[in-house]
Amino acid sequence: MTDVDRGCTDLGPQPYAPVTGNLADLLERILDKGIVIAGDIKIDLLDIELLTIRLRLFIASVDTARKAGIDWWETDPALSSRAARDALAEENARLRARLDALEDAAEETVEAVR
Amino acid sequence: MSRHPAVVPAPGARDARSPTVVWAFAVTRTPPSEDTLVMTTAHEEGGPLRVLRAGSLCLVVQDVPAALFDETALRERLETPDDLERCARAHHRGVEAASRAGTVVPLPMATLYRGDLNAARAVASREAALASLLDRLADRTEWAVKVHAAETNAPLESATDTGTGTGTGTGGRAYLSRASARRRARLDARGKALAEAEAVDAELRRHAVAATRHRPQSEQLTGRRAPQLLNAAYLVDDAERAAFAAALDRIGADGRHPAVEVSASGPWIPYSFARLDEESEHTEREDAP
Repeated sequence: MTDVDRGCTDLGPQPYAPVTGNLADLLERILDKGIVIAGDIKIDLLDIELLTIRLRLFIASVDTARKAGIDWWETDPALSSRAARDALAEENARLRARLDALEDAAEETVEAVR
Repeated sequence: MSRHPAVVPAPGARDARSPTVVWAFAVTRTPPSEDTLVMTTAHEEGGPLRVLRAGSLCLVVQDVPAALFDETALRERLETPDDLERCARAHHRGVEAASRAGTVVPLPMATLYRGDLNAARAVASREAALASLLDRLADRTEWAVKVHAAETNAPLESATDTGTGTGTGTGGRAYLSRASARRRARLDARGKALAEAEAVDAELRRHAVAATRHRPQSEQLTGRRAPQLLNAAYLVDDAERAAFAAALDRIGADGRHPAVEVSASGPWIPYSFARLDEESEHTEREDAP
């Protein structure tokens, strides 16, 4: 059985799938590893699978999930937000320092332009 | 000189108004029209879409409030399902708008800069790599294909027939024998489904310039009982799109792959192929016929 969700019926001028597509599919594409250019502000996101599962559970109601015994995200310290935050604290400090340096450089350039 | 804040806000003035950061959506050579920029609402909390020039390339961006989008605030927000979904959809809207006039290299969600200068510099510093990526993605779209094991109880039913022949006994040994026969049958069924998934992949690759795999989504995520065996993305030339679609139809139509269910979505902006590190992570088929 093949089920094709086509963004359009042919090679029309609007080539892309609608924004209302499957969120998990979208997330695994846009939360990505293959960084093309680095941003100034780095957001370290939790695992995509975890984020999307959490999302699904949220939609389905977390209470329902708990009743079904699905609560591993609460008990696994490696996956809790607090653990993630601790692990990131050091890196955050480093990045803030880098941002400051970049900002200074940017302001100098603005000054130089005037 | 500080009499002209509209031109370049003095460094201190940024804090007086509500400070913003720059959210980047995509790099392109062909900026979208003013109409597209004006008509698109990406992040509801931000300003209109803008185009920054960076050498020969353009970057489509939006000013968003720092209070919501700085490192700490955004990370917190992206851990809540509602905000995660809103940000993801907003990013996709911005990328889609950027692609309206031509090929884009979509940037990962949450690529943020402190100001236009930094954003333009980041693009300019990778100009050659981005330009070759734009060439590679031109006139190509991405198709997502998932293969699940067919949802059926057949393995369980057949296990009682194909067991060791003692499946009707009542003793502990007979029970164990039935259990191991069921397990074998399940493994056989899974092996068959996996082989069919590989066959589907091989067939689709013939019509793709490149293919990559995302991690199969768990049953928790798909909400299906049957496991996901393949979560693939194919980069398809516009000229091959009809052939690719026909291949998808054939795969589903003739019952050649009874152990799997195939679903597809597309065309997508080629997010999965907008990467510079492909050799290490992805299987490539640049030599596809």
